[in-house]
Amino acid sequence: MKVLIADDSMVMRNIIGKTISEMGHEKIEAANGYEVLLQLAKYEGRIGLILLDWNMPKMDGFEVLKRIKEHKSLESIPVLMVSTESEEENVKRAISAGATGYLPKPFSPEELATAIKATMDAR
Amino acid sequence: MNKALVLNCSPEMTEGITRLLGKQVKLIDEPLKEGKTFKKYSLIIMEMNGDRKKMVEQIRKARYICKFRNLPIILMTKEEKYPHPESYLSAGATEVFSLSDPPAACRQILQSYMIPDRKPLKEEMDYLNPFISNTSEILQKMAGIQANFKDVYFSDDFRVFGDISGIIGLSGEAEGTLIITFYWDLASKIISNMMSVDEGNINAELIHDGVAELINMIAGTTKKQFVGQPYHFNISLPSVVIGSGHQIGHPPHSSITVLIFDVEAFSFAVQLCLKPSNNNIRSSREQP
Repeated sequence: MKVLIADDSMVMRNIIGKTISEMGHEKIEAANGYEVLLQLAKYEGRIGLILLDWNMPKMDGFEVLKRIKEHKSLESIPVLMVSTESEEENVKRAISAGATGYLPKPFSPEELATAIKATMDAR
Repeated sequence: MNKALVLNCSPEMTEGITRLLGKQVKLIDEPLKEGKTFKKYSLIIMEMNGDRKKMVEQIRKARYICKFRNLPIILMTKEEKYPHPESYLSAGATEVFSLSDPPAACRQILQSYMIPDRKPLKEEMDYLNPFISNTSEILQKMAGIQANFKDVYFSDDFRVFGDISGIIGLSGEAEGTLIITFYWDLASKIISNMMSVDEGNINAELIHDGVAELINMIAGTTKKQFVGQPYHFNISLPSVVIGSGHQIGHPPHSSITVLIFDVEAFSFAVQLCLKPSNNNIRSSREQP
């Protein structure tokens, strides 16, 4: 499965990418909101999961999430929000906007793997 | 009894300092060595010699060995004039003055630097504790590194010198800045641990990126704990400053808290400048 990792931090993309690879998936990266949309267009129909950071330049994760859920061909892709913005209000906003799961930063590789599995199972 | 470390001071200079401070301060002459702890000293006094470049290097080295602690470095000269004091101050010296300045003024300056740092109040620790515990927990979780909180300083003029700083703006109900400052060696170790790769494979770009992410996580995690309190804030996207021995300025008369953490033989500093915003103060005053 192709997993899109959207985070403006190269280090975080790398850390998340390691867990994705260890789980046997293929990683695709995006460093800001616009790149997420570009990658979704490029890999049309082939991305099985999106890991989405909230605080990103150009277009933040919440805006990206709304756009994904507005788009018929993208709305079924599960989205796991991965963010330091883990206040209850933000979690509720993301879930009501269509996020499948929410993982607060910081996290351990085990917590990340568990959250990814839970997001996939919740599809 | 207060102890002052005298570095590279001539017998005339040591005698002059003794005349100024009398017997209330013990002057100790020992060489500058990495791995030494200067905690027992109240201040470091260095004599300015003719070679400015070498002097600046020595000040930088002393600052590095001080491990972010609030240890004043006083640069003294026997000459009446001392050109370019700013180059010494920006390298880490706290004060530059001459033995030929009025003795009463010199004495007062030196004595003022020996006043012990004040202890934090309970109310201050209440809002600092989330920053302290989150900093340690994030480093433990993301890098498997144990960071132990050691010291806190409150100051409007204490300057932190470092090689790389992650900075995040705080705004909203409370506003200010949160900064994490490392020397290069510890920053490199943390980021290599975070990425589970050898330090040799870590470049400046990754360290830059990783430090930004660390300050983002510390601010974001702490923000959550302040919901409904006067210190609740929103966070900006982080910025990073790189430069050997750089310092980050704060607005004049800001109250800065400096938190010092130790990681084995290394140290790093977290600087917090945070106050409830004027709007927040105004609205709380308007409430019946």
